[in-house]
Amino acid sequence: MIDHSLVISPAAALVFHLKQGFWLYAWPMMIGFLTILGYQALSRVVTLGTTKWPVVFVLACVVSMISLFGWVTMVRGIHMIPFYGCGVGLASAMMSRVYAITLPVHPLLKMRIIRVTWRGDLDGIERLKQALRARAAAQPGTDARV
Amino acid sequence: MSRTLIPLLALSGALWAQGPVPRPAPELKIGAAPVSNWRGRIVLLAFISTECPHCQRASGVFEQLLHEFAGKLQVAEVAFNPGADAAAFRKRFGLSFPVSLSSSDAAHDFLGIERGARLGTPQVVVIDRSGVIRAQSERLGSPILQTHDYLRELLKAIEAR
Repeated sequence: MIDHSLVISPAAALVFHLKQGFWLYAWPMMIGFLTILGYQALSRVVTLGTTKWPVVFVLACVVSMISLFGWVTMVRGIHMIPFYGCGVGLASAMMSRVYAITLPVHPLLKMRIIRVTWRGDLDGIERLKQALRARAAAQPGTDARV
Repeated sequence: MSRTLIPLLALSGALWAQGPVPRPAPELKIGAAPVSNWRGRIVLLAFISTECPHCQRASGVFEQLLHEFAGKLQVAEVAFNPGADAAAFRKRFGLSFPVSLSSSDAAHDFLGIERGARLGTPQVVVIDRSGVIRAQSERLGSPILQTHDYLRELLKAIEAR
């Protein structure tokens, strides 16, 4: 309770409320979103079956550390539950539209870059299937089905 | 139905109630000296629990403000948790302002809150130079009254009155 006759600069109160809004509402949503996004992306990369185990290990470490860091820094209370749920829901809805996540080598940069193939990208899905068939055919004894 | 409901509403209202702002600050002894001895200076008074992490963090903010408003501001803390060791608290957090002990009832009385009602700590009270309370935490605590930037603006506004 503040005496309303006092003339206080609104900037300090505004900054306080913006910070509070971020930590109480936006941060739980971001953590929920990143946790699901991270674990789902990890599972997609793992199920590709072509990723080397050190990459999987590092990815899993990073994802779990981000998730735990978020939980530790989150202001835990009843009010954060819907926002955390909203973040989880958004990430799950988004990931349900993802067909595959691959790590192809970029032709110019010569390094692996994450590529997301969306379910609506029929050409991309077809290219991915062809690439997998070609790889399976090049490795005798493997299952060529995709 | 209404015979039960009305007293219940009255009771809950009494439990939620707290002293209005502005109002003259009641008398309270900090150590041996009463708060009224500090008339002519702005007083930042905090009722704390020595075990509460928010109080510990806020104490650092109050110490910083004390230096920024040197000579114009008096800061004091009153610990009212059972078994509080005010001297150890002062030493641990390097506080140069007085930290005294009080009973929970005395803290509730000063804040204008029903005795026994649950309090969020720290309960921050800002008293102007004429001894009028110009700001007070909500019963369950007001984080804005623990932030350096907002308190500085509040103190400036009280100083400019």
